[in-house]
Amino acid sequence: MGRANLLAICCNWSPWACYNAAAMAKMPMPRNLRVMRVMCIGRINQALILRAFEHGADGVVLLECKDEDCRYGPGPGIGHSNVSKVRQLLDLLGIGQDRLVEKSFAAHEKEELARSLREFADYIAGLGENPAKPETRREAPCAATAE
Amino acid sequence: MRGDRRIDRIISERSLYQCLECGKCSASCARLLSGKEYSPRLLAHKLIAERDDTAFIENSVWECLTCALCEERCPSGVEFSRAILELRTLLAAEKGLKGYRAHDGALHSWMRLMTAPGLTQNRLGWITPDLKVASAGKTAYFTGCAPYFDIFFSGIEVKTLSIARDSVRLLNFLDIVPTVLANERCCGHDLLWTGDRENFERLARLNYEEFKQAGVEELVMNCPECYLVFNHMREVIPKFDIKVTLLIDLVEREVKKGGVKFKPLERTVTYQDPCRLGRMNNRYDGQRGLMSMIPGLSLREMENSGRSAVCCGNNGFINCDSFSKKIQVARLKEAQTTGADLLVTSCPKCMIHLTCAMRDPWRHGSLAMEIKDLASVLAETIEWGE
Repeated sequence: MGRANLLAICCNWSPWACYNAAAMAKMPMPRNLRVMRVMCIGRINQALILRAFEHGADGVVLLECKDEDCRYGPGPGIGHSNVSKVRQLLDLLGIGQDRLVEKSFAAHEKEELARSLREFADYIAGLGENPAKPETRREAPCAATAE
Repeated sequence: MRGDRRIDRIISERSLYQCLECGKCSASCARLLSGKEYSPRLLAHKLIAERDDTAFIENSVWECLTCALCEERCPSGVEFSRAILELRTLLAAEKGLKGYRAHDGALHSWMRLMTAPGLTQNRLGWITPDLKVASAGKTAYFTGCAPYFDIFFSGIEVKTLSIARDSVRLLNFLDIVPTVLANERCCGHDLLWTGDRENFERLARLNYEEFKQAGVEELVMNCPECYLVFNHMREVIPKFDIKVTLLIDLVEREVKKGGVKFKPLERTVTYQDPCRLGRMNNRYDGQRGLMSMIPGLSLREMENSGRSAVCCGNNGFINCDSFSKKIQVARLKEAQTTGADLLVTSCPKCMIHLTCAMRDPWRHGSLAMEIKDLASVLAETIEWGE
């Protein structure tokens, strides 16, 4: 364990509060996990999730608020719809839909959050490396090589 | 940029020095006419005479729709789309991929994901039991990105897989059991035309390996973009020895042999010429000839049709914006003005882009119109004569 490239996309509100509290309480959490904080999971679209895989992620987890807790309204709903579509795309690509997971938390559920992150890391470690890692990534501008 | 020999070469090879500054390109450019600050004529001028204006040139290169209407109008034979393609490839290699990618680049992302050599796709779910396909053999049907489009664009209810099914139905009707490969990849058209030549070539080589392994000698496809790419494949793979056939050409050839007729279809239709099929592959009459054989079908041409057909608003999934929408709305209104109740096209991209404009909630369905691929119209009506 620990070799996989994991990305958590974390909503700024309930899940981030859980993540913060779990870290303050020194709960064990996977070390190979990069956490990206966004204002709302509704900010994330299909392209951003796919791009994580394009850049070599082995697993992506979306940490969102409970449906009724969204500070803005539609966030988790957008998350569900995007995750369901991207999972189908990952299945077509042969990457496997299990590599994309979404989890929702209320603001006090720090134990649940830490546990599901550990379970997620174990699960992806069991699946092994993403079989479709592209050779190069050309999304971001590459370094200028002006003559 | 000034003094860059590679740009000099593109300008000279693509006949930009032949430009007369007559302005016919700009006068016909759909993007300019929709109000966008972009002018093919000015870009040609800046490339030749004011190459210091790098900001202008670099922006303009990514604005073009590459629909080739300007080329059609140009009296000097300037190969404008080809110049844009080469300039994009050049600029992308040095300064990174630019141009606002529609849908945040999700489509380009999955196309790049397909460059992984170890990919084992799971893409044959669309094949219904009534379709006869093989897993290896001489004649293959190239599906392209349709399985992906239908998931990604499920929100606008566009069904590009129906085109693939109807294409296979047409082939089956003609006693051809096509090979459909489980691991074919995207043809790479959109990566190529948005400047990512490196990954385009990677996809091309992987596809060629797949075809060779399955013993494919002839590749049949319905998508004009895939056809354009595979038709020029020798520029990437010099030893490319697979025959590339457009489905409607094959159907036309078989129909001409006789014995085939069409069931009546009492519809008034209009036809959207895709740029990759018409202006880039010179196919105008074949489609119309086939439609004229369907009894009851009355074809009413749009004001701008054939060589003058207007773009569906977007190409390669970059720069989809309010100006694209304007082009699409104008195009759909033109289609409605003909009095047709069915819009026929031959390109899944035209179908996606025009359907997207029809579904605009603020138009309250006023642009809605049934849209179908020519392959579907043919597959539904074709039958053996007595």
